[in-house]
Amino acid sequence: MSNSTARVADEMLVETIDRLFADHSTPERIHAAEGSMDRSVFDAVTEMGLTTIGVPESLGGSGGTLHDAMAVVCATGYHAVAAPVADVLASALIGAIHNVAPGEGITLAVSGNRGAPNCRVPWLPVADRIVCADGSAEASTVTIQSSGVNYAGEPYAVIEQRVGLAYAGEVLALTRAAQMAGALQRVSELCVQYAMEREQFGKPIGKQQILQHYLAQMAGDAATAMASVDNAVDVWSHDGASARFIRAVAAAKTVSGRMVAATNRNAHQLHGAIGFTDEHRLQFWTRRLWAWRDDFGTETEWGAVLGRELVADGGSDLWDFVTSIPPTLA
Amino acid sequence: MNHSRLAIGDQTQQTGAVPRLTFPAASLPASTEQLRADIRAFLAAEIASGSFVPRCDTWLSQHDPSFSKKLGAAGFLGLAWPVEYGGHGRTPLDRFVVVEELLAHGAPIAAHWVSDRQSGPSILKHGSEEAKRELVPVMAAGECFFSIGMSEPDAGSDLAAIRSTATRTDGGWLLNGTKVWTSQAHNNHFFIVLVRTTPIGDGAKHRGMSQFIMNLKAPGVQVRPIRLLSGHHHFNEVVMEDVFVPDHYLLGTEGNGWDQVIGELAFERSGPERYLSTFPLLVALVDAVGPNPSAEVAATIGQLTARLTALRRLCISVAVALSLGSEPVTEAAMVKDLGTQLEGEIGEVARQLVPPGHNPVFDALVEDAILSAPGFTLRGGTNEILRGIVARHLGVR
Repeated sequence: MSNSTARVADEMLVETIDRLFADHSTPERIHAAEGSMDRSVFDAVTEMGLTTIGVPESLGGSGGTLHDAMAVVCATGYHAVAAPVADVLASALIGAIHNVAPGEGITLAVSGNRGAPNCRVPWLPVADRIVCADGSAEASTVTIQSSGVNYAGEPYAVIEQRVGLAYAGEVLALTRAAQMAGALQRVSELCVQYAMEREQFGKPIGKQQILQHYLAQMAGDAATAMASVDNAVDVWSHDGASARFIRAVAAAKTVSGRMVAATNRNAHQLHGAIGFTDEHRLQFWTRRLWAWRDDFGTETEWGAVLGRELVADGGSDLWDFVTSIPPTLA
Repeated sequence: MNHSRLAIGDQTQQTGAVPRLTFPAASLPASTEQLRADIRAFLAAEIASGSFVPRCDTWLSQHDPSFSKKLGAAGFLGLAWPVEYGGHGRTPLDRFVVVEELLAHGAPIAAHWVSDRQSGPSILKHGSEEAKRELVPVMAAGECFFSIGMSEPDAGSDLAAIRSTATRTDGGWLLNGTKVWTSQAHNNHFFIVLVRTTPIGDGAKHRGMSQFIMNLKAPGVQVRPIRLLSGHHHFNEVVMEDVFVPDHYLLGTEGNGWDQVIGELAFERSGPERYLSTFPLLVALVDAVGPNPSAEVAATIGQLTARLTALRRLCISVAVALSLGSEPVTEAAMVKDLGTQLEGEIGEVARQLVPPGHNPVFDALVEDAILSAPGFTLRGGTNEILRGIVARHLGVR
């Protein structure tokens, strides 16, 4: 992994997945998938090998870089893909850290919650297998304590606490951060579009200075979230799974999660009552953002993971940490 | 359920239809690592010798000509300027590394700040050969310091409303008018001043302006202090009454001043000073809370630092784009807006996590941060103006 010096995703890949998701992830299909999943988008993605991208071919993956993989993950957020594409890809990447080949079908790595008696596994009700530190199991054999859907209608189940593979929690948290970065970007774009179309007082509402400021802030927050994710992917690609990777993931999850409250609030203010309805597509992204910031550790949990290490190192090392991310490029 | 209205208000939405901001993948080159080690060693020795105590907001407030001269002698100023003009022929990213180290360590860098960041590059780009030979080498040596002469009493955010003038005279120009908020004009040698060379009525508002290098000690110049709410003096009013400026101090082309100023904004707005002004306080905060804070306190410190690393990446991205010849004006405006929000927040958080009385050094840093905070989101273009720039890029203005 440390050999891959290209720190951007393949451009053709990015265009391809963007087109694929734009074709498949239509409002009607996102809506119809609520409570379950859109099997056909998942199959289309799997067929193209996108759920094992970034996993070496020698392990049975599709090859490519971690930047490629995270570009796919980010695109699932941008397009509100109603299937566990990102989670399955993350699980394949977690396997690769441990030299384990990707599982068949919908295989989910369990993150392993820190100290909690049970853990909530997103997408488990539609999964084939789960993977823990002590091996994998058929999803149908796992004892479900309770199940439900998150704010966005994505199914989950709660199971007894398991120990996840090392770095499973970090990779899954980074995955959600990347999805949030994509979704934040999409929300900011939906808002720009709507601000130009919607007229009140005889002019587009985007001519109102306060709304222009909301739009600028949203665009900036989305860019900041993306930057925090890019930092973590750079570290991962440079160091492999490492102590610095954990810190960079903590930063990415806390930064991305933090942006959700303001972006969603302002997006809904800007869209008015129609954006608050089930009929309008804005909610595909705002509901996912509200759900995803809670998955695999909130911004407070990850903030504390990073903060505890920083205070243990002391003030004199703080700048060293800040300047260690992103790694320099030879 | 009837889904036919799902795309309501959104019929034309296509992905990619909204203009995006461009932050290309950003890393500093490994070639900067030795320079970082060098400036760190320099700073460690200076701190050990008691040359300075780290403070907040030092790039505007801590004016120390002897420190600037030491930096110049050690080769840390004019890094990216040509060797033939006393510079060091290195890259803008080398300068980025030195500058962020100076800021993060709270070093007293106000004396040379403007000359190193923008006056030197401006003179190198637009100045006469005579001006370049006279001024740039002494700027690189840390012996000649510049201020900025832009705002006027009736021209703040609306800079094109300036009324100061330059009129031709034998061998040069006569400058008249008043500039305000001129940081360190009482301590520095020159400023680069934006004035009208064609009256405002004679054409478009943005035409007819020119930039000059003006000696702040010249006859006809009055520098009057404007004290800040903190009682500190770095702002001034500069009154110009028939101040003679020789021809070779005209910067660039007569009448082209506006475009020259706008071209410099991306350099002025996107630097690490836009999010590091209070970093020395964050360092002190980490020590003040001790190694075993509550989860909430640890989370707060983690969150602030996490945002810093993200903003630093955006900042590096803009610096890389600039070094490749792009003009990321919108991205620079965005980074300044986001960064200045964060540096203000560090002060607000620190004062609550460690109340006054913990120790005098910490309290002094908090005071720095709180009392200088209003300036963070004003200087170099208010955040409201910056958001307007971003909104225009997005297509809504």
